[in-house]
Amino acid sequence: MSSRILPQFALLTPQSISEAVDMLAQYQGQVSVLAGGTDLLVWNYIRKVKPTYVLRLSALDDLDYMNYIPGEGLRIGARAKVAQLLEQPEVAGKFPALYESALTFATPQIRNMATVMGNVLRASPAGDCSCAILALGGQVVLQGPDGQRLVDIDDFWISYGVTARKNDELAVELRIPEPTSITRSAFYRLTRVHEDLAKLNVAVRFEMCQNGCRSARISMGCVGPTPLRLKQTEKLLEGVPVTDELLQQVAAAARKEIAPIADQRSTEEYRRQVSGVILTRVIERAAGTHRIAI
Amino acid sequence: MKTKMITLCVNGKDHRFEAPVNRTLLQALRDDLRLTETKYGCGTGECGGCTVLVDGKDSICSCLTLAVEAEGRHITTVGGMTRNGELHPIQVAFIEEGAIQCGYCTPGMIMKTASILANNPTPSEEEIRTGLEGNICRCTGYEKIVQAVQRASQMLDTSQNQKTGGLGT
Ligand SMILES: Cc1cc2nc3c(=O)[nH]c(=O)nc-3n(C[C@H](O)[C@H](O)[C@H](O)COP(=O)(O)OP(=O)(O)OC[C@H]3O[C@@H](n4cnc5c(N)ncnc54)[C@H](O)[C@@H]3O)c2cc1C
Repeated sequence: MSSRILPQFALLTPQSISEAVDMLAQYQGQVSVLAGGTDLLVWNYIRKVKPTYVLRLSALDDLDYMNYIPGEGLRIGARAKVAQLLEQPEVAGKFPALYESALTFATPQIRNMATVMGNVLRASPAGDCSCAILALGGQVVLQGPDGQRLVDIDDFWISYGVTARKNDELAVELRIPEPTSITRSAFYRLTRVHEDLAKLNVAVRFEMCQNGCRSARISMGCVGPTPLRLKQTEKLLEGVPVTDELLQQVAAAARKEIAPIADQRSTEEYRRQVSGVILTRVIERAAGTHRIAI
Repeated sequence: MKTKMITLCVNGKDHRFEAPVNRTLLQALRDDLRLTETKYGCGTGECGGCTVLVDGKDSICSCLTLAVEAEGRHITTVGGMTRNGELHPIQVAFIEEGAIQCGYCTPGMIMKTASILANNPTPSEEEIRTGLEGNICRCTGYEKIVQAVQRASQMLDTSQNQKTGGLGT
């Protein structure tokens, strides 16, 4: 054999979303949904999950879409690939943080395979699109036997690898709200090479007006069990001009608010140290001309 | 063992065979179809040795794709690049630029080049370098590989003008 053999499983190929939900309900808890497979089919991962059934989405072409709807925002179907984020002009123009997360995401091959939804459902603290989506705000649409429900991205990740999705639900769509004319966003990730996961990633979104930020959302990855919102730090930014002094306070607050661990990609101290530096750079980039130099 | 009849279209030819459903595309190519030109490197989507082309355009890692998921798609491996015994301009460019040392990464590099040029026939050096991310050469021959992609781009551009060339599907 020319490579490691994946554990055995039975394959489910639903022909419609409702059939998929029926199957999830029937085999509750024994099924792994297969989207792009770039997490699920990694030998070390599937060996741990050991699904009895793998439910593939290959017949559900109606989930391929990535649609921008003026006034509403971005709708991302469960089969839309990370590569599609780079092709859709509105993503770069209106959701820069999400666009930037796709630009540095893995390699061309992986971007052609990986779905944006898979990134969110994997519930890894290092997920790049996940980090951007947490800052932009949004909802995950879950379809279960009783119909659809929407879960706010702020409530979606429960702990490492665990989401609010129930076993009999299929995640069908991501919704990211329309930015206003004063919305700014940016993403940055610190990594060794592109095919490595992030050592740390940061995304911000704020509504910028002449004398500072009206409201801010900051998310940071690889500094806790799930991507984290830094709510204490966000408060410092609201309603005041973005000055060097403020940025120093913001950096210090972020270092206190995170809970990084040491792993093969970075030490805890390193993550704490760079978190503030990276965050201030991302804020400066997003704030652009509204930044006040003193 | 859960098996399934699988039909794969590889290099323009349909192959029908029975295989376990957990078979990856890479294993199907190498072990079921004996098309061993596509290489197993890391098995985790990082090295690009297993890169194949889907529907003449997109590069994917065959090690992280189930064989059944490739049904209904046109898969091209480096073995499908030659036409009537003649090397494809990308292959010629790699040879002429000496963009090969041990050769293990070459099938993946050629398929990645095919993908880069199918999406952008005249890439800049920077676009080539970003495009080649995901294909690792451990003999550190990137300089020549980049030159080979540039040369292939020029050769294809010329042959396109003469209405020949084109990428294998
Ligand atoms: C070489 C390599 C490099 C990588 N680099 C990066 C990187 O730079 N940044 C990054 O963030 N990630 C990276 N990853 C991780 C991975 O590519 C992403 O997390 C990707 O977005 C997962 O999407 P997928 O479609 O491949 O998911 P899959 O592997 O198919 O699924 C992931 C998980 O989500 C579940 N799932 C998927 N879709 C649904 C659904 N519709 N409903 C319910 N459950 C669902 C699956 O059951 C599984 O548990 C990398 C992976 C590899 C192999």
